[in-house]
Amino acid sequence: MKRDTEQKITVEDLIRLKRAERPPAEFWATFESEIRAKQLSAIVSKRPWWDGFSRVFGVVNRHQLSFGSAAAVAMAIVGLRYMEAHRAGARAPQAAEARPVTVSPIAPLPAHELPQIVRTAAPRAQVEVASDETVSAQRPVVTAAASHITQAPVAAAPDGAARAPFADGIAITLADFREPVSDYSRPAVFGSDRDFETSIASARQQVSEPLATMDPAAERRARLLAPALPGYGSASARALASDWMRRRASSDERMYESMDRGSNDDRMLVGFRF
Amino acid sequence: MNASKTLEKTLVASPERKLEADSDLAVVRQVQAGDVAAFDRLILKYRERVLGIVYNMTSNREDAADLAQDAFIKAFQSIHRFQGQASFFTWLYRIAVNSTLSHLRKNRLRSFFSLESIREDDPVSKELIDALTDKTGAGRDTFVRELQEKLNDAMQKLSINHRTVVTLFEIDGLSHQEIAEVMECSVGTVRSRLHYAKQLLQSELQPYLLK
Repeated sequence: MKRDTEQKITVEDLIRLKRAERPPAEFWATFESEIRAKQLSAIVSKRPWWDGFSRVFGVVNRHQLSFGSAAAVAMAIVGLRYMEAHRAGARAPQAAEARPVTVSPIAPLPAHELPQIVRTAAPRAQVEVASDETVSAQRPVVTAAASHITQAPVAAAPDGAARAPFADGIAITLADFREPVSDYSRPAVFGSDRDFETSIASARQQVSEPLATMDPAAERRARLLAPALPGYGSASARALASDWMRRRASSDERMYESMDRGSNDDRMLVGFRF
Repeated sequence: MNASKTLEKTLVASPERKLEADSDLAVVRQVQAGDVAAFDRLILKYRERVLGIVYNMTSNREDAADLAQDAFIKAFQSIHRFQGQASFFTWLYRIAVNSTLSHLRKNRLRSFFSLESIREDDPVSKELIDALTDKTGAGRDTFVRELQEKLNDAMQKLSINHRTVVTLFEIDGLSHQEIAEVMECSVGTVRSRLHYAKQLLQSELQPYLLK
């Protein structure tokens, strides 16, 4: 080995020496004949039955990401819609029955006082929003739809200074949260979606007949919101709320659910009282 | 076309590679149109390069011949799927590299050398061997054989991916970008693998490196 030479040999030079490892010329004759034979057999031989599948899967694989993401988004939307519709049906079963439309008189608010949110009523069923004395002290923002009763009390304090600064915002948020699903956006993926909801609602209607007469949504929401937002309602509403709190403490008139464990730990009793 | 010209062509800049790709695409269109004989031109053009890649990855000339033929046959069978988005040679290289990688993974435990002889008619290799040894005749041949075995042994100590990157870059002269396309990985990965592989080769071939 010529160690005394000044020339520098690097690892790259040694690797490139492998370029000189080449087959002799006669090798290519054999190579050509073999490859021709293989080529002919490839032309003549029948393609396997799964070759068509592999082509299809090749196309699918090329668009794998877009198919997968589209499927995920579609499933998420369908799931959300279905869940929302199901939840709405459970909340207001009496709304599913098509009653004649009776629109309660709602006093329009001044534009500077509150932005009104009016939802279009669904054509299949509309509900009368009862205006009893419980909620008469509060002006509602009405959202009426097929399976929803959304009546968020709006700050209608006699004196504007007594209103909490963010009360309007909370009321609007609540109204938006209970926003019904519009018909045009309701998916038709599950086919007879409406029939399903109607049948469920009618079945529940028979079971919870006393509840249907109570119109619980507006009343209870008013009771709940009045103590939650100080200075929110009128004096009568606050008095009503305190009265409701007393009644709640005694657990006398309000619907509640009680859970009572039996002597054995392996069973649980759930009772509904009115 | 001899091997040195092939290598020179491999190492040329991108515009010529682009022209080459365009001419390949025209031939591929002929094959796709039903002119099966046109594929022979592609075989003749790329057989040495494909065989060189496979041989340097396997260090076995019999396996290399089989795998190179299989790569051409696979390319012929699936040429109707070639859209022309990448150059034909990149596509063909990818087929050859993937076939070889599959073969190497399948036969991980069964590997033995079957080496071609180093041809000293290439001026670059002759100059290098002259620099490494002053012996002549049988002594020189023995040294060259020993160096070749040591070189292949060092290459086989690399992992399959590192060996592939070294083969494509140092021996076949592909750019980092082209290697990334062939191996379907990022350019950074190619650079990283190349750096690591060279470090390992340097430690293995230290006695042959002259300062």
